Amino acid sequence: MIGDLLFQFAEWLRSTFLNDLAFWLETTALSQWIVTNFWAIPAIQVFHISALAALFGSALMINLKVLGIGGSGASYADTAKRFVPWMNWGFVVLLISGLGLIVGEPIRELPNPIFWVKMILIVITLPISLLFNARVARVEASGALTGSYKFGAALLIVLWCSIMFGGRWIAYAPV
Amino acid sequence: MTMTTEPQTIWQQIEYSGLGTFLAEDPLAFPMIESLHVIALVTVFGAIMIMDLRMLGFASNASAISRISRETVRLTWVAFVLAAITGSLLFISKASSYMINPYFLVKMGLIVIAGLNMGWFHLITQRGQDQWDTAADIPTSVKVAGALSLTLWLMVIVFGRAIGFTLSFYY
Repeated sequence: MIGDLLFQFAEWLRSTFLNDLAFWLETTALSQWIVTNFWAIPAIQVFHISALAALFGSALMINLKVLGIGGSGASYADTAKRFVPWMNWGFVVLLISGLGLIVGEPIRELPNPIFWVKMILIVITLPISLLFNARVARVEASGALTGSYKFGAALLIVLWCSIMFGGRWIAYAPV
Repeated sequence: MTMTTEPQTIWQQIEYSGLGTFLAEDPLAFPMIESLHVIALVTVFGAIMIMDLRMLGFASNASAISRISRETVRLTWVAFVLAAITGSLLFISKASSYMINPYFLVKMGLIVIAGLNMGWFHLITQRGQDQWDTAADIPTSVKVAGALSLTLWLMVIVFGRAIGFTLSFYY
């Protein structure tokens, strides 16, 4: 069922400009360099994974604390001050290394339905995460928070995990 | 084409077992377990990075080292156990290929060394913790342990990624 849906999505993606863009990207010098250097893609992936570790590890330190099941014992303001910059810079490295992976293997990514599911999830998650972190940064207390904060923290953990699932599933898309 | 159906080694026995065959043949099992492995290892490295950067005096310097250790150790272990379980399942599906893959073998060695480094720090170095727990001047032994841990776990990721790209060479 989901497989069929994704397959139709892939068919449609192939009929858009993304297909031409992917083939054009493949002819660029940077793409050619990445393709001819066997270790380029795994090396870029190591940057991608390390940045992800910084982002997700920091997100967990904030969100688990909000949920009252771990994280830092400092106040929320101090916790945010410590970890939010690492999330932001982690995201920048993820974006740059992600672009490198697209340029290196454009046909694996751009007409890939799971790639776009992942991108949509990122577009949804990013503003929620930024707003949530900004809210948490204004809390001077350090105890577990209630209601909407806990919901936000749990939602963000689920969203980041689904993005990681998407990332791994790009390799297994039905195309 | 000659194809031996009788398992020759213990690794082939594991691979050809019911679980091994299921993991290798089911279209969803391998990618699902792999995704969980990624989430787990990213959490392990993220949590360990927080501790290592504190040991090096690069981040979280407002908190005592023992406090950062307490705040990250449970997350590290929970995620490590998940990474080990999912990693074992991935291993079972291709045991004989992994056992002849040098990147896999080096990765396992690196994890052992990283564990010994962590054990040494907690059992030996941390005995003198009262002297440097909140000190601005962090002892070299603590910094070395932090730098080693950061390097070793990064290398675990490097070699882990290399396994995926060399599976077809060692088959």
